[in-house]
Amino acid sequence: MRRTWIVARFLTRDLFLSLSGVVPVAAAATFGLIAFEYGMDQAQFFTVAGLGTGTICLVTALLLAARANHAWFYPLLARLPRRGELLAAIVLSSMGITALLALSIALGNLAAGRLTLDMPSALWLLPTWFALWLLAGALALPLAALTSRGGSHLALWVLFAALLFANDQKSRLLSDGPEWAARLLTVVFWPVSTLLSRASAGVHDLSYSLTLLLTLAYGLLLFVLAAQLFHGKDLLWSE
Amino acid sequence: MGFIFPDAGQIDRHGLPVTGIGYLPERAFYPPRFSIRDYLATLSRLAGVPPATGTLLAQVGLEAAGSRRLGACSRGMLQRVGLAQAMLGDPGLLLLDEPALGLDPAGQKFMREQILALHRAGKTVILSSHQLDEVTRVCTHVAVLSQGRLIRSGPLEAMLAERSQVVITTSPLPPGLDQELESQEPGVSATAEQVVLFGPAIAHKARILRCLIDAGVDVRRLSEERVTLEEVYLEATTP
Repeated sequence: MRRTWIVARFLTRDLFLSLSGVVPVAAAATFGLIAFEYGMDQAQFFTVAGLGTGTICLVTALLLAARANHAWFYPLLARLPRRGELLAAIVLSSMGITALLALSIALGNLAAGRLTLDMPSALWLLPTWFALWLLAGALALPLAALTSRGGSHLALWVLFAALLFANDQKSRLLSDGPEWAARLLTVVFWPVSTLLSRASAGVHDLSYSLTLLLTLAYGLLLFVLAAQLFHGKDLLWSE
Repeated sequence: MGFIFPDAGQIDRHGLPVTGIGYLPERAFYPPRFSIRDYLATLSRLAGVPPATGTLLAQVGLEAAGSRRLGACSRGMLQRVGLAQAMLGDPGLLLLDEPALGLDPAGQKFMREQILALHRAGKTVILSSHQLDEVTRVCTHVAVLSQGRLIRSGPLEAMLAERSQVVITTSPLPPGLDQELESQEPGVSATAEQVVLFGPAIAHKARILRCLIDAGVDVRRLSEERVTLEEVYLEATTP
């Protein structure tokens, strides 16, 4: 954990010392300004900002993974007994950056009167978003060239895009498409969609807990997949 | 180093597995916006060794440049940083890939002195280099690789002594002395004004000199001609 923390700090600092560091900040600022233009209540905040910050977390983790895939990273990686520690550091760093950006978005909009939160029920944001960010950070790992083996990240990008597109066309699939495809999509997206809908409705029952655990399990599964790909990979860095 | 996995084989050191390896790559890259001190401190923390950055910087002659950004360092300074990070944690084995490549004469001398100091401190230094003059100056053992295969290996002194010869230039030899010298010692070749010693005869050069002086011959010059490492290399690698 100590090493993961050190690498996460290094990655965070390196990102913000580079031009790439502008990307998550600009994304957060844009999201904070556009999504909150007409104000937002707590229920909307749970879902809209949850997905928005999840996307920021995904982008940040991809940027960090890209920076860790440079030749100059070798002395750090050489000092890690397990390569998985680097992946954990990327997820940790992306979640930390996202948390700070989400806090800034929330505080900025609270101060501007465009957001209303009811305490203490708003604190359910913490486990809900934590699970979402963990999933987003872990999802970025197998999508990054860092862990890719034989172009696996490209195949996963195609799969990811296809799933998002199919989910977007779900209503059409339900009426015209094969039943199994619609059912599969429902199963795949159920944990995240149910987690957000329950959390935004302020319902924290067994279903909420189950979806929270399933979302974390998704994240863990993606992390294990990335760690497995990265574990036996011959590392030939770009300069 | 754990970056590329071997197809077969293993490394050991006098029968003991190698645990700590310091590595300086041929072309070292570093995060350009970090200072030398920050970078080495991060690596120290990661390696779990006390961050004796000041001592390390002094050891590689960079004590005054600790706050300089890595992106603003010259090639020679970066090589010193590379050596410093390779020495972190006091590894027993150092793998230095072309450490003097692209350095000015002062930098080359510095690197040579550092390698010799590491050797004196009991470290095993594996130096990979095409600069055979440098190799001759610092190495005790040499291995010649060609097309990924080990062609020759052994103590450097033995390799260079293999075809060395001692040439004694004299005044004209008295009649019969040439034959007498040749019959006394295998590996002696005498002509009118020159006596050449090969192989085992070189060890008896003092006795042969005495013979010449006793015979009233004027010894004008004695030179030892050794084969160069370049010749050894070319001979080994040329089909």
